[in-house]
Order: sequence, then C-alpha cells, then structure tokens
Amino acid sequence: MKERQFMFATIALILGGMLAIQFETTNNPVVRDTRDLWELRADLEKEKQRQQELNEEFERYSELLNQYKGEGKDEKIQAMEKALWDLKKQAGLTTISGQGIVITIEPFSEELIGVGQPVPKIDPDMLRRLVNELNRYDANEISIDGQRVVSKTPIREVNGNIYINNEPVSSFPIEIRVLAKDNEKLHQKIIASPAVEEFIRENFLVESKQTAKVILPAFDKDMKVKFMKPAKEET
Amino acid sequence: MWLPVLGLLLGLLLGFMSDIRVPPEYANYLSIAVLAALDTLFGGIRAHLQGSFEDKVFITGFFFNILLAAGLAYLGVHLGIDLYLAAIFAFGVRLFNNIAVIRRLIISKWSDSRKKA
Repeated sequence: MKERQFMFATIALILGGMLAIQFETTNNPVVRDTRDLWELRADLEKEKQRQQELNEEFERYSELLNQYKGEGKDEKIQAMEKALWDLKKQAGLTTISGQGIVITIEPFSEELIGVGQPVPKIDPDMLRRLVNELNRYDANEISIDGQRVVSKTPIREVNGNIYINNEPVSSFPIEIRVLAKDNEKLHQKIIASPAVEEFIRENFLVESKQTAKVILPAFDKDMKVKFMKPAKEET
Repeated sequence: MWLPVLGLLLGLLLGFMSDIRVPPEYANYLSIAVLAALDTLFGGIRAHLQGSFEDKVFITGFFFNILLAAGLAYLGVHLGIDLYLAAIFAFGVRLFNNIAVIRRLIISKWSDSRKKA
C-alpha cells in the first residue's frame, strides 16, 4: 500500500513538472534574439546615445532643482520664468532666428514643362511628407510661407488651396525655413530626399540654400489643449 | 492519500522554479504528453478505487501512453494529418469517463459509510 502511494506521488510529481513547464511555455514563450552583429552594434549605439541623453536631461533638471532650491524669491521667479520661456520656445510660441537653411519650391519654367501644360499643383501630402523628412533629419524649427510649423499645425487643401495653420499659402515660390542641429547635413540630405524627388516628379523646382540668418515667426494662433490636465503635485 | 497531492505540488513548484521552457515547435507534443499523463493518473486512481490496480500496468501505461501520444503527433506532423487530434479525443473522452467513475465510486463509498453510522 505504501509502495503504491509512492508510485502515485512519483507520477504526480512528473505530471506536475510537465504541467508547470507547459504552463510556462504557453504563457511566456521563448523569444529568440535573432539580431546579427551589426544590428546589435546599432542597438548598443542607440542605447548609449539614450543614456547620454538621459544623463544630460538629469543634469539639466538637477540644475533647475538647485535653482529652485536656491535662496531668494527673485531667483526662484527668474528660474520659473526661464523654464516658462524654454517651454514656449520648445512649443514654437516665440520668434526664433539663427543659422539655417531656406528651401524654395516653385514650378518649373514653361519651357521645361512644355507650353500649354497646366500649372502643377502641390498636394498637402507632399508638404507633410517633406515636413516629416525634415524632422527626421533633425530639423529643430520649421516654418512654411511665414507660418510656423508646430506639433499641432494642420496642412490641408481647401478648394484647391493649401492652408497651413488655417492660413492660405500665397503664390509661388513657397519658402520653407528650417533651423537644424546640423545645417550642412540637413541641406545635403534634403536635396536627395524622396520627398523632394516627389516634388520634382510633379514638376516643381526645389532649391535649398544655407543662410547665415533665418528668422522664423512665432506660432500666433491659439494653442488649444484638449487632452491635457494639470498634474497633481505629490506631497 | 496526501502523498500524491504533495508530489503534484512539489512537481509544480519544481517546474515553475526551474524556468525550463520548451521551444514553441515542441509545445504541442508536451501538451499531448501532459494529457496522456493526466489520463493515466486518473485511470490509476479509478483502478485503485475499484480494487483492480496493478503496478506494472500503471507504470507502463504512464510512459507508454505518453510516448504513443507524442509519437502519434509526430507522425501526424510528417504525414500532414492532424493525428494529435485523435490522441486528444481519445484521452479527453477517457479522462471524462474516468473522472465520472471516480465520482460515482466516491459517492457510493460516502453514502455507505453514512448508512453504517
């Protein structure tokens, strides 16, 4: 009788082990790492960059914290004003100037397109793609035809006209001003970018120039905030 | 009575602690093996309650059923027929039968002991 109990116990033990392994397998299956050497290197590089960015952010905030903690009311207010100014700058609510590039878009001359052909039209998708690509090449600030492009800027077509920030784009040439981290790089990249190729396919001439000083206007519309709530201060 | 339950718990604990995972392509076989093992265990309990338990049948049944089920599944994969369904079906039906018989046996035992008391 005792023997039988042990037998059952052994079988139950094996069954339990199998059940547990099966359970583990179905609930969190083995994910194989299939990255090759180059991918691993690229990922490592990315993580290192991220670490650096985080470190920089940490330093910035600890500096800010020190300023807040610093004595004197004036300093506190000054620090807050500076923080507010920085945020406004980030949101695109201030006029900004600096070394940048100017991209102009205009239709090819009639000889190139051929006489009697209709004047080419810009599709808002093309502009959006160009903006996306500019952002991808590390553009910091962008304005199109005197309209600052911020995170909420709409680029739409209404009755055959392009509207940016709900303002119609005036006639050609359209001027896009960009401030970037590395102007030279952006200039090179954007000339060869697929977005610009798209413009050329649609019979537009796109030129990019580096300029010592470009001025980008502030975003002058109301910034409507729909989905944000003030965070509660933790005590 | 408590020894098998203890064994089961110990097995579960070991399985979870060891962090062994089966590659996904073999998970099917393991699931069938688990089913076979469950079937054998319940069959053993039933035989024990009915008084027709035999050690050799139980032990060989356990391993043989597992191997047969996994082998059937393997064959099915290579023939392109879902043979593992046959194993699941057979074991599923037997599992239910066995559990039903065990339930009846336990109930009759319980009512007997109440009548005596």
